[in-house]
Amino acid sequence: MTVEVAIQQALNGISFGALLFILAAGLSLIFGMMDVINLAHGAFYMLGAYIALAAVQRTGNFWLALVLAPLLVGALGLIIEPLLLRRLRGRHLDQVLLTIGISLVIVDLVGLVAGREIRSIPFPAGLDRSVPIIGGDYPVYRLFVIAFGILLAALFAFIHRRSRLGALIRAGVDDAPMLAALGVDIDRVFATTFAAGAALAAIAGVIAAPVFGVFPGMDVDALIYSLIVVVVGGLGTLSGAIAGGALVGPADTFGKVLFPQFALALIFAIVAFVLLLRPTGLLGRVRIAR
Amino acid sequence: MNGTPLLTTHDLRREFGGVKALDGVSLSVAAGERRAIIGPNGAGKTTLFNILTGELDPTSGSVALAGEDVTRRAPHELARRGVARMYQRNELFEPLAAAENVLLAVGAARGPYRPFTSPQPDDRAAARELLARVGIAERADVAARSLSHGERRQLELALALAQRPRLLLLDEPTAGMSPAETARITSLIAALDRSLTVVIVEHDMDVVFRLADRISVLHEGRVLADGTPAEVRGDRTVNEVYLGKVVA
Amino acid sequence: MRRGALIAGAAVAALALVTFPVWTSEWESSRYATTVLRDMLVLAILALSLDLLVGSAGLPSLGHAAFFGAGAYAAAVTMARLGSDELLVGLGAAIVASALLSLVIGLFAVRAAGIFFLMLTLAFAQMVFAVAFQATELTGGSNGLPGVRRPRLLGLDFNAPDALFELVATTFVVVVLLLWRIRTSAYGLALVGVRENERRMRALGYDATRLKLSAFVLAGAIAGVAGALSGWSLRFVSTNDVGIGRSIEAFVSVLIGGTATLLGPAIGAVVVLYVERVLPSSIPFAETVLGLLFIAFVVAARQGIVGVARAAYARARPAPARAS
Repeated sequence: MTVEVAIQQALNGISFGALLFILAAGLSLIFGMMDVINLAHGAFYMLGAYIALAAVQRTGNFWLALVLAPLLVGALGLIIEPLLLRRLRGRHLDQVLLTIGISLVIVDLVGLVAGREIRSIPFPAGLDRSVPIIGGDYPVYRLFVIAFGILLAALFAFIHRRSRLGALIRAGVDDAPMLAALGVDIDRVFATTFAAGAALAAIAGVIAAPVFGVFPGMDVDALIYSLIVVVVGGLGTLSGAIAGGALVGPADTFGKVLFPQFALALIFAIVAFVLLLRPTGLLGRVRIAR
Repeated sequence: MNGTPLLTTHDLRREFGGVKALDGVSLSVAAGERRAIIGPNGAGKTTLFNILTGELDPTSGSVALAGEDVTRRAPHELARRGVARMYQRNELFEPLAAAENVLLAVGAARGPYRPFTSPQPDDRAAARELLARVGIAERADVAARSLSHGERRQLELALALAQRPRLLLLDEPTAGMSPAETARITSLIAALDRSLTVVIVEHDMDVVFRLADRISVLHEGRVLADGTPAEVRGDRTVNEVYLGKVVA
Repeated sequence: MRRGALIAGAAVAALALVTFPVWTSEWESSRYATTVLRDMLVLAILALSLDLLVGSAGLPSLGHAAFFGAGAYAAAVTMARLGSDELLVGLGAAIVASALLSLVIGLFAVRAAGIFFLMLTLAFAQMVFAVAFQATELTGGSNGLPGVRRPRLLGLDFNAPDALFELVATTFVVVVLLLWRIRTSAYGLALVGVRENERRMRALGYDATRLKLSAFVLAGAIAGVAGALSGWSLRFVSTNDVGIGRSIEAFVSVLIGGTATLLGPAIGAVVVLYVERVLPSSIPFAETVLGLLFIAFVVAARQGIVGVARAAYARARPAPARAS
């Protein structure tokens, strides 16, 4: 591998890592607050991408799609949590099973409405060029993805550390029942958290669409990858999602380039290995979960 | 009592992130002895029991059972070596009937890898007998979660006895019991055969003084005093720290 | 119910099931019902094996299809490579492959519990999927293995649809009997003990990890048998047999039918396949129906069909409080 190719692949890896972070952040948030692995995460991602597809087809405006998709999917999450998940409060395993059912419904309906062909969204105007980087031209959009990821991470870090919402989230991650006992409207917190997680998945779907396309089965891919990132980096923490993305993105990219036959299996081997040694992931918090 | 100690611990220490739960506990319990361990909350009694049953490893120190070092053995290995525990907070099989609970305990000795054999009639009979012994024979077919608190404690004791242990660890057996229930359980324990060694953690001093041959007083992870009930009652430090002002 | 009557009834039902193609041949010449029922039974076997983990041992596995697929591939590939049509060769290969795989995966998986166990099994199953996807010379990759030969046993040839159905149905009956025996055995009770209170089981002297592992391997082996049957039934093995969709299918069957019951998973499999196979001829949104059904059961009828039936029966004739 030449230096030029290596740099290109490195950028690809970082860009993929940034995308993975955006994707995994929502899953990590929901798990961190509610102890629920949202297995409908991939479905929300898919829904976001398909909404963006429809929006771009109708208006040609990518940025509108980027705002609309998380809004709509977030609203859906805001309905689902109180309607269904809340009834299973305290039954974490059953909540996880519930999200499987939700996933089945969403994925099927999306396929029915939008058809089963592979579609894609064009790069938004302005980001469809390539710029010269050491080693050749590199698509601007992928650099945008990196920037977006960093921006989002910075935003989260700020909220986390500085705002009341952040304090609330930190407390909720540590001890949700105590928070409830202190008079915080835990129902509202959970509903909002779930909606936010769903919205984040949708954003990831929109951002990824120009690069990876929009097609049936994308929900499974997204779910698996977000699980990998969250598990490796650390369950339930922001830094975990960043760490996971930073690790898995380049590993996956270089793996596919260097030994495509075993890249996937290698990634999963890493997952299993990490889960065994540190069930809460590299940077995860210790949980007394059952 | 024979002189050969059944259980010895040597300088047991256990830290939890800087907190010293056990700070050098050395005990020696003779075979057949009834040893009570008392001390205020947080003294390290439960930590000690968790180490003795293998659920926790000590940070340093050792545990020996009839001379054999069992310091870092897994719980099931200790159980196989004759250690049984009555938990402070019941650890029962909630949806199963009382008889099935005890059946599981009885069947452990046989080894469970017989996927095509029903539980042996001998085991079933032994289970019923144990239930009768602790006094809940007529509740044999009731689910554990439907039993009263006192009955659950009795079942908890039955599980421990079912293992035919040589060392019985009782973790606050009378916790939450009415005086009548307390009296019954205390009689049960007092009537246990001397082939069984009993170590009991208790807060109820009446029970302690009724049952114990020797008492060890734990305080802040260390053994404060160790002796016969009379010796402990008269020990000044114990009085100051734990018993309050008791006439020496 | 009187025990003798129960046994007799079960025997009659089993016989009726196995001979289904015979007594329906008049009004079922297209063999559609036979084919659907056959596939239901295959899924039922898979679901029953999964419930050994979920229901008996309390291990929620979302990666059970890995063993199903392993069995399917092993049977098809071994028979093709060896040029053998022998039933026992195929079954043997399926059982060995799935048992070995479940042993390897189980060694890692059973150290986790609850949600972590779920994620581990999911991760490992995806690994198996990835391998099956990549190893194209062996598994046909995403195209799969068409042209799987049906087996024969001594004089019996299972090529004909009726004969194959009878093979599947007989295997189903055998598996049900096997699992019934296990559930009522000391081992079965021990598994329930591990499910209900693992800490206490260890304190009693049981090696809980080994118990869980043994259940895992046993369940995996039975799933492998189901996989072999699937390959023979469809004459086709593909990565679908190993994918997350199949794992979810099995789990949904277990839950809808009723976990920790003898026939619940089988009933669930019938419902699931009915929705997936029969319903689409009437409506295009069968998976949505399945998803909604699943949600409904998780939220409102967690004990599944069998559980609901039992509760209704208990309400109909009041009895003194007994253990469940």
